[in-house]
Amino acid sequence: MAEGEIAIGIDLGTSYSCVSILEDGQPVVIPNEWGERTHASVVSFLEDGTVLVGNSAKRNIITNADNTVYSAKRLIGRFFFSDEVKKAQAVMPYRIVEGENNSVRIQVRDSVYSLPEISALVLKEMKAVVENYLGYEVKKAVITVPAYFNDNQRQATKDAGRIAGLEVLRILNEPTAAALAYGFGREITQKIAVYDLGGGTFDISILEIGKDVFEVLSTAGDTYLGGDDFDDRIMTWLADNFLKEHGIDLRLNKYCLQMLKEASERAKIDVGKDAVANIHIEGICQDPTGKVMDLDATLTEAEFNKMVMDLVQRTFKVCDEALQSARMTAADLDAIILVGGPTRLPIIRTSVRHYFQKDPMAGIDPDEVVAMGASIQASSLLDAKGEHYLLDVTPLTLRVGTVGGYTDKIIEKNTPIPIERSKTYTTNRDGQDKVKIRIYQGESNKAAECEMLGEFEFSGFRIAYRGEVRIEVTFEIDTNGIVHVTAADVETGQKTTTTIRLSSGLTEDMIRDAQEKNAATQLARGEAA
Amino acid sequence: MDDTFEIEAHALAQVLDELDYFQILKIGQGAAPAEIKAAYYRESRAYHPDRFFRTESADLQEAVGRIYKRINEAYVCLRDDARRSKYLVDVSGPDRQRKLRFVEASEQELKKDKEQEIGTTPQGRKFFMAGLSDMAAQRFAAAERNFKMALTYEPANANYKAKAAEAGKLVKSDASVR
Repeated sequence: MAEGEIAIGIDLGTSYSCVSILEDGQPVVIPNEWGERTHASVVSFLEDGTVLVGNSAKRNIITNADNTVYSAKRLIGRFFFSDEVKKAQAVMPYRIVEGENNSVRIQVRDSVYSLPEISALVLKEMKAVVENYLGYEVKKAVITVPAYFNDNQRQATKDAGRIAGLEVLRILNEPTAAALAYGFGREITQKIAVYDLGGGTFDISILEIGKDVFEVLSTAGDTYLGGDDFDDRIMTWLADNFLKEHGIDLRLNKYCLQMLKEASERAKIDVGKDAVANIHIEGICQDPTGKVMDLDATLTEAEFNKMVMDLVQRTFKVCDEALQSARMTAADLDAIILVGGPTRLPIIRTSVRHYFQKDPMAGIDPDEVVAMGASIQASSLLDAKGEHYLLDVTPLTLRVGTVGGYTDKIIEKNTPIPIERSKTYTTNRDGQDKVKIRIYQGESNKAAECEMLGEFEFSGFRIAYRGEVRIEVTFEIDTNGIVHVTAADVETGQKTTTTIRLSSGLTEDMIRDAQEKNAATQLARGEAA
Repeated sequence: MDDTFEIEAHALAQVLDELDYFQILKIGQGAAPAEIKAAYYRESRAYHPDRFFRTESADLQEAVGRIYKRINEAYVCLRDDARRSKYLVDVSGPDRQRKLRFVEASEQELKKDKEQEIGTTPQGRKFFMAGLSDMAAQRFAAAERNFKMALTYEPANANYKAKAAEAGKLVKSDASVR
């Protein structure tokens, strides 16, 4: 393949990211110069103006806490007033501030960054890892997102790719990518489930795979549930015990909180591997007399399982929903694929086996499978040879606001994409020159319980008496799962001029500025973790 | 992409609004679910936008995009038994041209339908429900009276009328048996 004619696959994760390319028709994960195959999605802004990304940046969460941003994916595409942002403000050591139009910004020293700009720095590092390996520049990428991501989150992820100087060929759903990496595609038709528990999100997709066609029958998820929540349980347990024993609440200090968090993540991994974790944090705080104190604890598997059981159960509620939408039972499935680091935990494996009455498939590293699937799709789009077809769906019902705070369904969840649907509106005032509509995604008919995507204003149609002008509004969901809204005057066919979008998103000007800023930023080289 | 395909795609994109979903998927109106799925896969292989990702012609991409969206729309409707039977009635009727694209009744309309079924007035609903339990207990004369009472509150309710007529018929056949 000629230089520049390569497209990479990037799994942009909440906790870790991974990048892959196709070599001789096989997906290969590209390691960085230290041989690391997955990279912490952590961005640390250094004193000298350079930016450190990855596993070496992760160590700075404690030593350079104010200027080190992690778990940005939990915040991307969210409004400032959302619960997730409020929760993050309470625990994150970095500064989360409000930007225009209720958007979320991160303040680092004197600079303010949008979430796509932070993610773009992770993407820049992924791009650099491949370029360092290949020795030439890459410009095109497929980037994955949780299947349950809404339009705002998808759009923001796509913006992040553009800011990093990448042409984003596709925003691909993580479970679909995983299914692609596992291949299948034999003569027999198979029904499979992809159980994807990541750092911050949970997805389940049910697919039917016949030869070269990968048809997603249904998808469901929870963008507020992931491995981080397991860490939080251990953290709470450690902090509560420490409070009982010593009368000191470690949670009041963000520095202590970070040490706790780091120890909790390690304990989770240890307890999954060895059935027991010995936790030791040296010098976590000082007692009132100034004596430095350590934290010591032992976490057994039984105790850990008890702590997280309700979280595990929550994933199966979501599985119930997906199976129901696909009009299937667990017994109809031929195979189960596990995706995401937390699926290494014995509690997850046992529960999955119990729920699906089947052993999950093994073979591909659950941390790497998504990136590998993304690179397969990236190469397939470039070649356009049509070796496989992904028939994916929209995860959430698209709705339009009606009177009294209610909404009406436009495109139902689990509808295959791309798809469009039109709806005709008439003016309700004499001389009306504008029509405003609000669109939402969610499963409730109450607007307040759905996610608002934006407000569109249409103008430039004929001005006449009320009811005389009919405006046809077309709602489209493209192959990236991104929503587009256009409108036209029914009589004249004249497209209305403006589609102003009020949302947490970035304008073209902002993206251009961000691209310059991103290109000018030097990536610091760390050291082996 | 060969030229024949390009010509076909443009021709198809042009007549899209005159075809029903069976024609879009190139299947008969009596196609079994497995045939519908097979047709959907076949048409996806032909018109999936990914195949045209690198196509230079924006016109062709646009045409294929329109076709594929309609293929998805057709599949969503026809794979669901309830939607499919309603659609079949729609496109077999005099209003065919207007109903080629299936439109789901909105939630408000569904609510209205439901209300229409059991009534919109409290008194109407009360007599109607009483009539239903009379029917279940085979007290057809009592049922007829209750349905007729319900009709005095909601004279236009089609469901009330149908039930009253049904009860009336049963009263007569009941009498003739005895």
